[in-house]
Amino acid sequence: MKQEDPFKALADPTRRAIMDRLRDGPCNVSDLTEVLPISQSAVSQQLGVLRAAGLVSQQKDGTRRIYSVDGAGFSQVRDWVGSYETFWDDGLDRLRAHLGKGRN
Amino acid sequence: MSISEILREVDLPHPPEHVWRAFASSAELAAWLMPNDFTPEVGAEFTFRTDPAPGFDGIVHCEVLEFDPPRMWQISWVAGKVDTVLTITLAPAPGGTRLRLSHAGFGAGSLLPRVILGMGWKRKVLWKLEDWLREEG
Repeated sequence: MKQEDPFKALADPTRRAIMDRLRDGPCNVSDLTEVLPISQSAVSQQLGVLRAAGLVSQQKDGTRRIYSVDGAGFSQVRDWVGSYETFWDDGLDRLRAHLGKGRN
Repeated sequence: MSISEILREVDLPHPPEHVWRAFASSAELAAWLMPNDFTPEVGAEFTFRTDPAPGFDGIVHCEVLEFDPPRMWQISWVAGKVDTVLTITLAPAPGGTRLRLSHAGFGAGSLLPRVILGMGWKRKVLWKLEDWLREEG
């Protein structure tokens, strides 16, 4: 399977909607098609991109395929966001100190 | 935690005009954030420079999207794989200013045109951004 960049994979609003739904719990293609305004084959295609990005994993349950959030690619994105959370907490602390110093 | 937006709200014991100064010039931004070549003009491109990290060359590429003293300061923020928009809004609050920080669009580059349309931004800025998004692929 071709490797996809998780950041590029998440640049698409439909794929983000799929990720949002999967973060509530695993589901199959029909479950996803019900909550999204696109066809089942389009959902399958987007799931393929998300799998290639390491964001989604697939398990077989009899004849059904169950999709869920995969840790690997998702944690890469989460780590970026997490590092920016720390960055801004520190930044706002420095802003507060800076404003205190500059007070007229 | 949202995968696409960081939000922070802080109350600062200074009037908005005073807080705004920290965002209004290159020297002020450098004093508390990072070295930069910011110019306070919508459409101006500039960079912040910091230490490189894996997947990041240490250069944040920015463009001023909104500069509305002392209320709203907004820039695009492109660093490594991160295509984002940083928005600072200031509002008077009892005893000073409420500062709201939104850093939005992680893994969500295509959000940009929608955000801009929703805010009724100048067409020129929109076209520029669309060109930029196309170039970024």
